[in-house]
Amino acid sequence: MKRIKAVIVKEFFHILRDPKSLVIVLILPILMIFIFGYALSFDQSRIITAVIDFSHSELSQNLIKTLSQNNHYQLKEIIPDERFPTPTAKAESLLKTGEIKQYLIIPSDFSQHMKKDTPAAVAVIIDGSDSNVANIIHQYNEMIFLQFQTEVRKLGPPFSIHTKMYFNPENKSAFYIVPGMVAVIMIMVSALLTSLSVSREKETGSIELLFISPLKSHEIIIGKTVPYILVALLEGTFIMLFAKFWFQIPIRGDLLILLAFGLIYIIAGLSLGIMISTVASSQKVAMIATLLITLLPSILLSGFIFPLDSLSPLLRAFSYAVPATYFLKIIRGVILKDALFQHFSLEGFILLGFSLILINMASLRFSRQRKAAR
Amino acid sequence: MRNPSNPPAAGCQDDAIRVKDLTKKFGEFYAVHQINFAVKRSEILGFLGPNGAGKTTTIKMIMGLLRITAGEILVNGLSVKRDLKKIKTFTGYMSQKFSLYPLLTAWENIEFFGGISGLSPAKIKHAQQEMASKIPMEILKQKIMDIPPGIKQQVALFTCLMPDPEIIFLDEPTSGVDPENRRMFWMHIYELQKRGKTILVTTHNLDEAEYADRILILHNGRIIREGEPAALLAADHSDSLEELFKKAILSHEAN
Repeated sequence: MKRIKAVIVKEFFHILRDPKSLVIVLILPILMIFIFGYALSFDQSRIITAVIDFSHSELSQNLIKTLSQNNHYQLKEIIPDERFPTPTAKAESLLKTGEIKQYLIIPSDFSQHMKKDTPAAVAVIIDGSDSNVANIIHQYNEMIFLQFQTEVRKLGPPFSIHTKMYFNPENKSAFYIVPGMVAVIMIMVSALLTSLSVSREKETGSIELLFISPLKSHEIIIGKTVPYILVALLEGTFIMLFAKFWFQIPIRGDLLILLAFGLIYIIAGLSLGIMISTVASSQKVAMIATLLITLLPSILLSGFIFPLDSLSPLLRAFSYAVPATYFLKIIRGVILKDALFQHFSLEGFILLGFSLILINMASLRFSRQRKAAR
Repeated sequence: MRNPSNPPAAGCQDDAIRVKDLTKKFGEFYAVHQINFAVKRSEILGFLGPNGAGKTTTIKMIMGLLRITAGEILVNGLSVKRDLKKIKTFTGYMSQKFSLYPLLTAWENIEFFGGISGLSPAKIKHAQQEMASKIPMEILKQKIMDIPPGIKQQVALFTCLMPDPEIIFLDEPTSGVDPENRRMFWMHIYELQKRGKTILVTTHNLDEAEYADRILILHNGRIIREGEPAALLAADHSDSLEELFKKAILSHEAN
């Protein structure tokens, strides 16, 4: 215990005095949460839309007014010029340059069809280069056309729909992205801290002093893990506070549940970092390997951005091997849905399995490396 | 003082270290090739040789930091291959590359190395006070990266000696240290010898070799000269160790 305590104290001094550790602990997470919280938003509040009205009727003007009054749309006037003499050619060029996201063509017989209650065709050309954005615009269009039809015909739809969005009534992306980001940052930072800590000792040669000391391999692992558990927990708390007060994410669930699951998740990350450090020959290699192993799968395969259902069967199988897949579900559930411990007992059990397997593998690899040295 | 739980094996009471046909290969390269030597109790053995001669590799094999390709090492009669845990309890190592944590103060380094050696808090405190009687407190409270090499070396040797090892391995302990501090360092080594410690020290500074009771000259992983400095000088008709060293290497390369 005395020996483990000595390693723990030494690691704390290193965290506080090593500028690299401080950057990882303090700056990297803030930077990431800012970038992802703001840049990675699926909200479309400014769909710049052009309308080519061949109908010039009262009804077509009503449709344009409905669009302009909606907060999601911003209308752009089409002014043909010498290079693009027709409104359609001009609209197409604006779509190509990205100045508009879509354009609508209201045909000349639009009004007649509407009055006769026969199908009226409005052409909608959407910039599909970003399929996510295109889908969202398509959904907004459908909603607004339904609203227009209902108003014009003075008829209600076949049945009345009252939709209530649970957990995220304003459908804000940040509600979805930021808790997910916490999961991504925590696994990345935990793994980085230990992988850099051990690989730094390898690089400087100080690991030899630990190897020749009476310290047992598991004592080195514990001594190197415990300080970083506390650091990662503080880090998690800090990010959560940031999420609540900066991004206004409501924290509806019990934070103790999150703490319990978070602890297991952090141990998995720290063990992963130690495993990486047993392979990496330098701090640079350890850093690149850790970022590749933690960041890419946690962002792409955990359900953070792409729903797991949309992944191919092969990638989906891979996603089950990513600890963030489980913690992401837990953190979103606890924060947004006030989920309880029992709602995520399976995920918690799997995370515990991950942690136990990874810490044992890390300890085994570390011992083997120590023995392989002789 | 020898650890009573680790008595020397029968038949080698005089040898603190015995190395038999020791070989270390990295791929096809022989870093150390079938070397044999012994270090007597309370002896200072100097390991001489140019960079890459195999000095550090040999020490690392004795300390269990490198796997032995072939041969055997006995420390106090115990095999490095089988009894490394026991050997660790009575040996100390001061590395050429790294001996102290640069971000920790000298004071904290003493606390850390005492801690991982399993010393009691009282013993660690006593060690810190002992160090404070030799080096001003304001220096001890500075980070290792900010203190002069001479003092750094004193602290490194002090931490190495904290568990009171019987056999001490010093790998290039005086590199980067000024002549005055080097002289003081050797005075300290003599004191340790008087207290019964066995010391194996590597160096590529030929002027330091005269401090040793016996020297081994290593070249390309082989021992090319072995004996007391004065006897070697006489046998080789050399006026200085530098001349002896050059002759030995040239003669070895010619053969």
